[in-house]
Amino acid sequence: MTVTTAAADAPEAPPRARGRRRQELAAHVFMTPWLVGLLAVTALPMLASLYLAFTDYNILSSPEFIGADNFVRLVDDDRFWASVRVTLTYVLVSVPLQLGFALLLALLLDKGMRGLAIYRSAYYLPSLLGTSVAVAVLWRQIFGHDGLVNQALALVGIEGSSWLQNPQTALGTLVVLNVWTFGSPMVIFLAGLRQIPHELYESARVDGASVLRQFAHITVPMLTPIIFFNLILQTIGAFQSFTQSHVVSGGTGGPVDSTLFYTLYVYQQGFVSFDMGYASALAWVLLVFIALITAVHFALSRYWVHYGD
Amino acid sequence: MNAVSRRKLFQLSALVGGGLAGSSALSACGGVGGGGDSAGALRYAMWGNNVRQQNYSKAFEEMQAAVPDLQIAMEFADYTAFQERMTTQMAARNVPHVFWVPSPQVMTYYANDLYRDLEGIETLDLSDYSPTDLDGFKLDGKLNTMPFGIFVPVLRYNTTFAEEDGVELPEDGAGWTWDSLAELAKDYSANSSQGRKALSYGAEHDLSFENWLRQRGEQLWTEDGRVGFTQDGLASWIEWWEDLRKAGATTSISEQDGVAPDWPTVGDKILMNFGNSNHIIDDAQQFPDYDFALRHPPVAEDAPEGFQYLYYPRMAVYSGAEDDMVAKAGQVLTYCTSTVEMLKTVGLTMGAPVNPRVAEEIAPSATADEQEMLRIVAEDRAVERKPRYEAPPGSSTWRTVMGRVLEEVTLGSSSISEAASSMIDEVTTAIERAA
Repeated sequence: MTVTTAAADAPEAPPRARGRRRQELAAHVFMTPWLVGLLAVTALPMLASLYLAFTDYNILSSPEFIGADNFVRLVDDDRFWASVRVTLTYVLVSVPLQLGFALLLALLLDKGMRGLAIYRSAYYLPSLLGTSVAVAVLWRQIFGHDGLVNQALALVGIEGSSWLQNPQTALGTLVVLNVWTFGSPMVIFLAGLRQIPHELYESARVDGASVLRQFAHITVPMLTPIIFFNLILQTIGAFQSFTQSHVVSGGTGGPVDSTLFYTLYVYQQGFVSFDMGYASALAWVLLVFIALITAVHFALSRYWVHYGD
Repeated sequence: MNAVSRRKLFQLSALVGGGLAGSSALSACGGVGGGGDSAGALRYAMWGNNVRQQNYSKAFEEMQAAVPDLQIAMEFADYTAFQERMTTQMAARNVPHVFWVPSPQVMTYYANDLYRDLEGIETLDLSDYSPTDLDGFKLDGKLNTMPFGIFVPVLRYNTTFAEEDGVELPEDGAGWTWDSLAELAKDYSANSSQGRKALSYGAEHDLSFENWLRQRGEQLWTEDGRVGFTQDGLASWIEWWEDLRKAGATTSISEQDGVAPDWPTVGDKILMNFGNSNHIIDDAQQFPDYDFALRHPPVAEDAPEGFQYLYYPRMAVYSGAEDDMVAKAGQVLTYCTSTVEMLKTVGLTMGAPVNPRVAEEIAPSATADEQEMLRIVAEDRAVERKPRYEAPPGSSTWRTVMGRVLEEVTLGSSSISEAASSMIDEVTTAIERAA
């Protein structure tokens, strides 16, 4: 008896299709480590934290399900609201300042100058160091009572007090620290500026447009996708800021909670008070809030971001 | 803009990868601890600065040479990072075999069964201690942690400044009261030709605050794990300091960079400061041109007998440690607390030795600052003392809360009574939540 199988009867796949399948397989193989990482290091802990947000969990004993109590507790938690106020102020002030400063420097560097690579590297350096403990410690030395700022003020006869111990100025020093790390968005702006066709500027110059008009009507519109990209990145980064406040305030968020970043409060609840259930709830509130803010950014982007297509 | 070529990208990746691999390899190298090849080793977790880390590494190497078959993997971090790491290790039930216990967590760890009973460990030599000593070490009637140092609250003063400025502190006894100190502080600060202040603002100092409370017949914590002080007790402490601060007798909050004075910042600006007895050892080294001495804090005229107390930094053996590790842990605890060699290597930065024999034997080789510390601890140790209770579960943030209410008071955004009330409410709520 002769047995023929469907497979044996089926026509062989053409070489091009087989090649494509092999490529797809290779792609999946290369993606696997990342997918495993995503699942093990990000997705599963996130799911665990979502569960913990509905529990009373002190790390040392088993979590106990308490429904939405942690979220209800937020409403009457004065320090939660203080951290929200501090974080929103920080984001609203520091992100526009940082992006403005980065754009200004990118415009200057785009003019073409000798030693551009050196300047670019030098300006980028703070971005690498900016959120490190070393720089935050340095910030204490600069803005402390006997710090560099007050020593400079003393030269002109002004006696300054500790900028870090005054609730009116403490957050400002952290804003300055964030603005100082303008290197990362600056490099992205610089790349964007290099993509703008020179013909547009030449035509504008021929038509008599001033430098300001060229900036307003060519540079900014052509750069809006880059501005949007930087805005999203820096906003999310600012909401997640932690190290600066933790080191500069010694982990307290002081004076009187004036530098109590939201993430620092989450940390305090989770790792100092051992209230990991509540900390998880706080973390999820932040995640949802950042997602909402990002969604609003995307929704509004259709009115001001020009992709040129 | 120049595109990055594949060659450059790979070169860069190789550099970064090589750097990371190199740094990992470097961190894996090390005599004591360092993870990696530490299977079978006893894990010993502690905190401190890099000088302490170096000293303990050396001491553990000596210990490994002295104790057969002992291998120690030291898990070291600064105080804050230590607590973070312990927290995650506890959550994963991957706790080191022997660990130091941060003071705010003593009863929190106990409530969560982290401590192994030490009384059954044959390798732990307790023969130098009297029954009274051992009773004083116990928590909840059980010997489950081992003190390895003693601190007491002190008033430290700069004898160089005192000589230069012609100041003499009153002798201990009837004349050495909080009022007389306040008077001296105001007078000194008002008349210092060098612009020095008598004191740093020290209302946040925990041991001194506890001393104040005990002199009023109050406690920091009660035996059953509640806040042991009243609103009046806390308010009176803050008032004493506010009176001095407003009179210019202390450094300002700005000058000392916060309500907790930064010693390197204020060390050469003040005559006296409240602190732990052991701090003189590290702090004096930061100002080698000056000499320092210790005094007992002033005593309230109506202070009850036995208000003095000893504070013990403690170490513990993890309840989940395997039997062979428990035996090794006993040897390590014995070596750490009962050998003079250990203290000669690590110094006395963690306080006076708890072991009375070791305290006696170490004294001749101690530095002048260490002898000063030993003297003042021995004086308090000789006094009959009322019991003291550790911080209950949930109270671990009490010092942070106290710092915050002091900020509110010094900035004028809260009255002293409001601040005292709010601190007690916040700490009480946290304790109740943890119960």
